[in-house]
Amino acid sequence: MEGAADQTTKALSELAMDSSTTLNAAESSAGDGAGPRSKNALKKEQKMKQKEEEKRRKDEEKAEKAKQAPKASSQKAVAADDEEMDATQYYENRLKYLAAEKAKGENPYPHKFAVSMSIPKYIETYGSLNNGDHVENAEESLAGRIMSKRSSSSKLFFYDLHGDDFKVQVMADASKSGLDEAEFLKLHSNAKRGDIVGVIGFPGKTKRGELSIFPRSFILLSHCLHMMPRKADNVNAKKPEIWVPGQTRNPEAYVLKDQESRYRQRHLDMILNVEVRQIFRTRAKIISYVRRFLDNKNFLEVETPMMNMIAGGAAARPFVTHHNDLDMRLYMRIAPELYLKQLIVGGLERVYEIGKQFRNEGIDLTHNPEFTTCEFYMAFADYNDLMEMTEVMLSGMVKELTGGYKIKYNANGYDKDPIEIDFTPPFRRIEMIGELEKVAKLNIPKDLASEEANKYLIDACARFDVKCPPPQTTARLLDKLVGEFLEPTCVNPTFIINQPEIMSPLAKWHRSKSGLTERFELFINKHELCNAYTELNDPVVQRQRFADQLKDRQSGDDEAMALDETFCNALEYGLAPTGGWGLGIDRLSMLLTDSLNIKEVLFFPAMRPPQEESAAAQAPLTEEKK
Amino acid sequence: MEALKVWSLTATPLKQLLRLSSSSTRLATTIYGRRSYHLSPALRCASAASSSSSSATTAETSKPSGRNRRSASSSNSTSDREAIRSIRLKKVEELRGQGLEPYAYKWEKSHSANQLQEIYKHLANGEESDNEIDCVSIAGRVVARRAFGKLAFLTLRDDSGTIQLYCEKERLSDDQFEQLKQFIDIGDILGASGSMKRTEKGELSICVNSFSILTKSLLPLPDKYHGLTDIDKRYRQRYVDMIANPEVADVFRRRAKIVSEIRKTVESFGYLEVETPVLQGAAGGAEARPFVTFHNSLGRDLYLRIATELHLKRMLVGGFEKVYEIGRIFRNEGISTRHNPEFTTIEMYEAYSDYHSMMDMAELIVTQCSMAVNGKLTIDYQGTEICLERPWRRETMHNLVKEITGINFSELGEDLGNAKDTVLLALQDVLEPKDKSGIRACSSLGHLLNEIFEVVVEPKLVQPTFVLDYPIEISPLAKPHRGNAGLTERFELFICGREMANAFSELTDPVDQRTRLEEQVRQHNAKRAEAVRESPEPNAKKDDDDDESYEVTLDEDFLTALEYGMPPASGMGLGIDRLVMLLTNSASIRDVIAFPVLKLQQ
Repeated sequence: MEGAADQTTKALSELAMDSSTTLNAAESSAGDGAGPRSKNALKKEQKMKQKEEEKRRKDEEKAEKAKQAPKASSQKAVAADDEEMDATQYYENRLKYLAAEKAKGENPYPHKFAVSMSIPKYIETYGSLNNGDHVENAEESLAGRIMSKRSSSSKLFFYDLHGDDFKVQVMADASKSGLDEAEFLKLHSNAKRGDIVGVIGFPGKTKRGELSIFPRSFILLSHCLHMMPRKADNVNAKKPEIWVPGQTRNPEAYVLKDQESRYRQRHLDMILNVEVRQIFRTRAKIISYVRRFLDNKNFLEVETPMMNMIAGGAAARPFVTHHNDLDMRLYMRIAPELYLKQLIVGGLERVYEIGKQFRNEGIDLTHNPEFTTCEFYMAFADYNDLMEMTEVMLSGMVKELTGGYKIKYNANGYDKDPIEIDFTPPFRRIEMIGELEKVAKLNIPKDLASEEANKYLIDACARFDVKCPPPQTTARLLDKLVGEFLEPTCVNPTFIINQPEIMSPLAKWHRSKSGLTERFELFINKHELCNAYTELNDPVVQRQRFADQLKDRQSGDDEAMALDETFCNALEYGLAPTGGWGLGIDRLSMLLTDSLNIKEVLFFPAMRPPQEESAAAQAPLTEEKK
Repeated sequence: MEALKVWSLTATPLKQLLRLSSSSTRLATTIYGRRSYHLSPALRCASAASSSSSSATTAETSKPSGRNRRSASSSNSTSDREAIRSIRLKKVEELRGQGLEPYAYKWEKSHSANQLQEIYKHLANGEESDNEIDCVSIAGRVVARRAFGKLAFLTLRDDSGTIQLYCEKERLSDDQFEQLKQFIDIGDILGASGSMKRTEKGELSICVNSFSILTKSLLPLPDKYHGLTDIDKRYRQRYVDMIANPEVADVFRRRAKIVSEIRKTVESFGYLEVETPVLQGAAGGAEARPFVTFHNSLGRDLYLRIATELHLKRMLVGGFEKVYEIGRIFRNEGISTRHNPEFTTIEMYEAYSDYHSMMDMAELIVTQCSMAVNGKLTIDYQGTEICLERPWRRETMHNLVKEITGINFSELGEDLGNAKDTVLLALQDVLEPKDKSGIRACSSLGHLLNEIFEVVVEPKLVQPTFVLDYPIEISPLAKPHRGNAGLTERFELFICGREMANAFSELTDPVDQRTRLEEQVRQHNAKRAEAVRESPEPNAKKDDDDDESYEVTLDEDFLTALEYGMPPASGMGLGIDRLVMLLTNSASIRDVIAFPVLKLQQ
């Protein structure tokens, strides 16, 4: 009974915080709304709800505290009052405090703080002290964010100081502060959870073995003006393991759980959820590994334009913008391919680019309007070389990050058992058409460019109830069937190879299999991660392929590729036999960080503006501030 | 003007020819940008000396100029591009007719050209390595071709350099030698294998046992191509530029090395590399006109970022203490030799530090890069010697203005009108009319100081100089100076009169920040209103050209993030394109951007 009540109180507390952060998010995006009356009505309703929520939370919290601590000290009472305050009042009080400090000529935002040691280093250096030991002749300076605060009297305050994903306790004792009792109490009354502070003092361990710093000086560096969400204190809960690559994540342990709030206020997400910072460190390591791998193979990193006069290089819908001075339309690139190949023509034999691509498409679990890829081009190599390089790169990366070749991945949701994905090379290879025919028991006409093949595939899709929206080109039909029959079987890394020419306008025809190309796609956990081929370097054939794409475009396929005259012209100067390769960095990061939503691996993912009603409700406030 | 141009052209080709004749190896001190430009007249002269294409190409391989006159005519002597293309297309068909694939799938190289030059340095003239145990394999583009009866010489260029192929009919099958004579043109990409030999005349060569046509090129290389005399075309067809001028590729190799060195330097201090959005809901973090685009499914306008600052600072709030991003920035402004609509910067932020740390970091980054790509700290930039030796001069804006103009801004008093009069009087001899207008338009003492600095002082800052303590009016994101009211803790780094870096102790007070950004928005909107008032009947064209036509809004997300508390921090932005220009002695930003934005072709 008591446990249940406690749980309910915590849940309500978090709900209140979520509401508060949601309001903040709404506030940040003022939008057009209904008329004045409607706005006022919505505003009143919102305030009413908020007040009710706060009141309920306050009542329950008061009851809880009265039950558990009937003889709370005056200091605890002060802290409790802060925590019981509603978010708006808390914010106003903090602003008043800042204004008061400035009025006295104090600067509440100092310019710097000389850190003598990082918190992880401090822990490493002094972690071996014995319980109760103090090293009063040593002086260290630490800085970080206060995430918890408690006191045992008006002369003794305890803080958890967080920095660089580690924390250390601060034990502030009035008798060592050099301040009189009133000054000491005032200073520490003004230090709130979320504030960033600098501590100068000596190291030691408490009698119970908690490594601490005992401040002789305690300086507020920056202030958290908003109430920091509090972590639910569940004594029975296991302390979650620190996440490392290859293991599954534990989002249930997050202090801030609401996905919308986490993505919209990533700064708060990172403050509260240490695991989130580890995710992004891992992403940085992945990119660093790819770069090192390619640099060691003498590839040259290059930068090609993100804005182009023509949309080309892949089949996708571009963002369009306009250059004022030149008075011309520019397209955000959807792939850097054509420029990188021009560099191979120019005599650079190995080039790569890690950068953003832009596609004006819907947002979902695995798509963001801007995403990061690595593409490389290697003269005198073919797709067999690329498959081998892919295996070496990815298996080596997984080994370096995790110590082994297998990772756990919550492919079916965090509430179900994770699957295991094995990166041990070599990766399985299956031929697209051959395997599709075998698995789906099809007998596809040889000439894939024929009407006969198109009709056959339309029938096959109908028979298997595979949906293919118009236009029903043979390429799209094949794509749907492969998605239905082959992709789901590719959990461990699998190369689907030898795609048909009609699906691969930039890939070279297969040297021994008519109608096919020397292309592969790497699938892991049923999703495409990598796309590569022996590059088409015959300019005559390339022009023909572009012409075919134009036909598809005219029949309504707006993802068909446009002719790029500059690129065709470049090929005519001679492109060496070349292998070209592209990898989705975001998707790879998702796999190696056990993320199901691409937003988890993007610091600031694209978000829909907050709901219009909320925005409308907040509009008056925004106007007021302005 | 015209006379000067003629004189310049007359003088330089002679120097170029002298260089070609006096040196068979590329000099480390070659000025790439300048040489690329002047190579065309030299080629034109060389072409005039003989009517064949191979002689001009030979000149590019830095052989003594005397050899130009001894070249044989080639089978593609016609200068008409379309005719050449037609001829080569026929060759493609004939090759396929013979069962040969003119567009091969791959080739196994055992060595690069330079590796062979190095490994077989010991061979004496006329000496040949053992054919049985010493077979090498190479691939590259044919850049020169000479055939005499039963002997043919081809010069192959790959990524690293060039090497000669020595082809004897006796050593090749009859078919292969005929194939070589009949089908291979300059520009084709060839793979060849054989043993090594140094000719009697001292040229290291591969005695070819077998070869493969890897790629048949259709278009001739530009010995007579007008692109080489037209700088615009060099950028428009960069691949031709790089084929014709191997030193162009060297600029991009150095660029890659610079970026790599920056990364290494920064990461050795524990900075984490991150990526922030290019497409944003609001354009903030700098004063610049943004590109606007539209997201179909979200149904809203998005702006291309004009700085990475606001997102990187959110990360300091989030608990990362050192972050950086190397990425593209977009500004919808004019194109010039120093500006490209998209350019690359590194921005970095460090918690608990102030702008002095960033000065040290800037010095370290630039000196490390110079050592990495030039091997020294004293470099030549467009004829001026620049000394990058640390420490670099650090001086306040006030003192620099005083030093150069004699005007002490600390004594000008508070009245803006009087200050302007004093300045105009003191500088009337050196100011242009537009500069005077700029001064009269200044809205504050801070703007006035900055205007004088930009007009009079900036061009004189040739050696590396940190300009410190900018006025608060022009620094909306920088922290107020801890000791001097009215100033901020901000610096800019100038080398050769150009801004290379911009940095400050970051403003972490959310109340102050909100006030300043609101003021910025207010001023921007006031200018827009004024612009509208000044043109009673504005048309669409005028509106587009108006510098103030774009909308600026507060970034509420950013301000809210600050309210959660940002630690004291410093941040810096450094222009990578400008740094590469400096360290590769390139006059134009287009020389260091592989594919710069260009006007539509007429």
